[in-house]
Amino acid sequence: MDSEIIFETEDLRKVFGGLVAVNDVSIKVHKNTLHAIIGPNGAGKTTFFNLLSGNLEPTSGKVFFKGKDITNQPVHRTIHFGIGRSFQITNIFPNLTVFENIRLASQAMGRDNFKFYRRTGSFQSYANRSWEVIELVGLVDRATTPARMLPHGDQRKLELGMILAPDPEVLLLDEPTAGMAAEQVPELITLIQGIQQAGDKTVMLVEHNMNVVMSVSDVITVMHQGAVLAEGSPSEIAANETVQTAYLGGLYQLDL
Amino acid sequence: MTEKTSPTVNSFVSQNRGLILSLLALVVLPFIVGLFEGASLGAVWQNESGTSKFVQGLAIEIFILAIYALSYDLIFGITGLLSFGHSMFFAAGAYLSGILLKSFDLSLGMTLVWVLVIAVVNAFLFGIVLPRVKGITFALVTLGLGSVFHIVIMSREVGDYTGADVGLQAVPVPEFINPATHRLTFYFVAIVLLLVVYFIYKRFVDSPTGRVCVAIRENEDRAKMLGFNTFYFKIVALVLSSVTAALAGTLHTLYQPIVSPNTAGLGFTVTALLIILIGGVGTLNGALVGAAVYRLLDFGLRRYLGESASFINGAIYILIVLYLPFGIVGTWRMQSAKITEGRKRLLKLLKLEK
Repeated sequence: MDSEIIFETEDLRKVFGGLVAVNDVSIKVHKNTLHAIIGPNGAGKTTFFNLLSGNLEPTSGKVFFKGKDITNQPVHRTIHFGIGRSFQITNIFPNLTVFENIRLASQAMGRDNFKFYRRTGSFQSYANRSWEVIELVGLVDRATTPARMLPHGDQRKLELGMILAPDPEVLLLDEPTAGMAAEQVPELITLIQGIQQAGDKTVMLVEHNMNVVMSVSDVITVMHQGAVLAEGSPSEIAANETVQTAYLGGLYQLDL
Repeated sequence: MTEKTSPTVNSFVSQNRGLILSLLALVVLPFIVGLFEGASLGAVWQNESGTSKFVQGLAIEIFILAIYALSYDLIFGITGLLSFGHSMFFAAGAYLSGILLKSFDLSLGMTLVWVLVIAVVNAFLFGIVLPRVKGITFALVTLGLGSVFHIVIMSREVGDYTGADVGLQAVPVPEFINPATHRLTFYFVAIVLLLVVYFIYKRFVDSPTGRVCVAIRENEDRAKMLGFNTFYFKIVALVLSSVTAALAGTLHTLYQPIVSPNTAGLGFTVTALLIILIGGVGTLNGALVGAAVYRLLDFGLRRYLGESASFINGAIYILIVLYLPFGIVGTWRMQSAKITEGRKRLLKLLKLEK
């Protein structure tokens, strides 16, 4: 991989009390790749994501985004740099409509947030952008439904839409398929892959479904007890002895 | 605005129809009441005492309560900040205007300017704790701030100005708006102010800023992650709310024209909470309906039941909260949506039967 590096961490460390959740992780994420982070529960994947997106402040270490130091930037600012982040647990505005959920996400990127004297409806560009995104994630029929009434799979799509609306360069997706019915998973994965390839975006993915990870990823980082255990292409990871014993348990055989 | 671009927009026309009708009713109300009593329109116009003048007084109190309740609905119902010190915003306006008019002989215009300035300062006072406390902690901090204000108002050291625990008495009111001699004028001024506040609030809630406030109520963390610095939005809501409440307080001083220390107490914050619970939290219209129900119920029960009124009053509030959990306006909206849907389904069914 020789494309430019978009995300880089330097000895990133996060300690909760006595627990070292993320232990001196240094990784490089290349532009326009689909970079998966895998590892057993409690390996520190979500904490690592929280450090990247600014939800948590690291105990030590640094985060660089496009060569710029963004360590300790609050979460409401990192998104303006071009970092979109989704959550393992669905995180939406439950009582607002699908359209309004996405419209808020589009509005956040503009400079009209404090125009309290104008009607929201008079800002066409946000509405247009929202419809684009709603179409992309396939929720057009549901646009006027309150988000809480959506089935779980559609809520995951809505959440993806809320990250896509500001058109970020990097998507941090924390188990986007969590809790989804098995038959819906391929659809969402195709969607994510499509977005990554069409819009030259970088996707970082935490995922437990090994078939998904092995088939879509360009690079896989394996985390174990807060540290990086191995990194490489899917076939390298599947062949790696340490990874097999620590995580895959000798069960996963790559079908080639 | 096309259908497709804004599915969230309410049917604006049908909403305003009710408003226009009630506004017309309020404009003719003093005269109608006068006619029932046999007083001529001219007599009502001349502010001669009678039932009409009394009804105007009751209505003015409702308007003031409605403005105050609107301001609470903005921070609690729309932005989701539970404040237990809201009466401080009102009382600051009430006391300040009274003191400036009485002890400093300021004109009404200058008084209003000062009230505005202090209202903004008050909002920031509540605002500085915002990044640190959330939810029930914010409620307690605001309760503390409000209580400090209440105690200061009642203290003997400032008694020369505030009247300590007796309250501020005999505030001189400019003649053109004096509720004793020019009550009808006051009545219309109060209506206009209520309308202005109501429309500003309507627009605010429908503006990009207001939408973010709603998002903060729904899920503040998510709003932050969308890239909104939620602190600024909460400050804006607090400032608007504080200024409105202070305006209501000023009107209260001009109308009464005395200010009781009770207006600074926790009880008066609960009044605002009760009004919007009755009317419907976060609906704005609910504050108007709630204020009318609250004041009329209180007045009616007190008149016919005397001392035991508060007991019955409390029972009625419990019933309202139990059976109208979204308030009068909130439940009404929900039910009318259900009825429309049910009618559609019924029509479909009937066609199928044919």
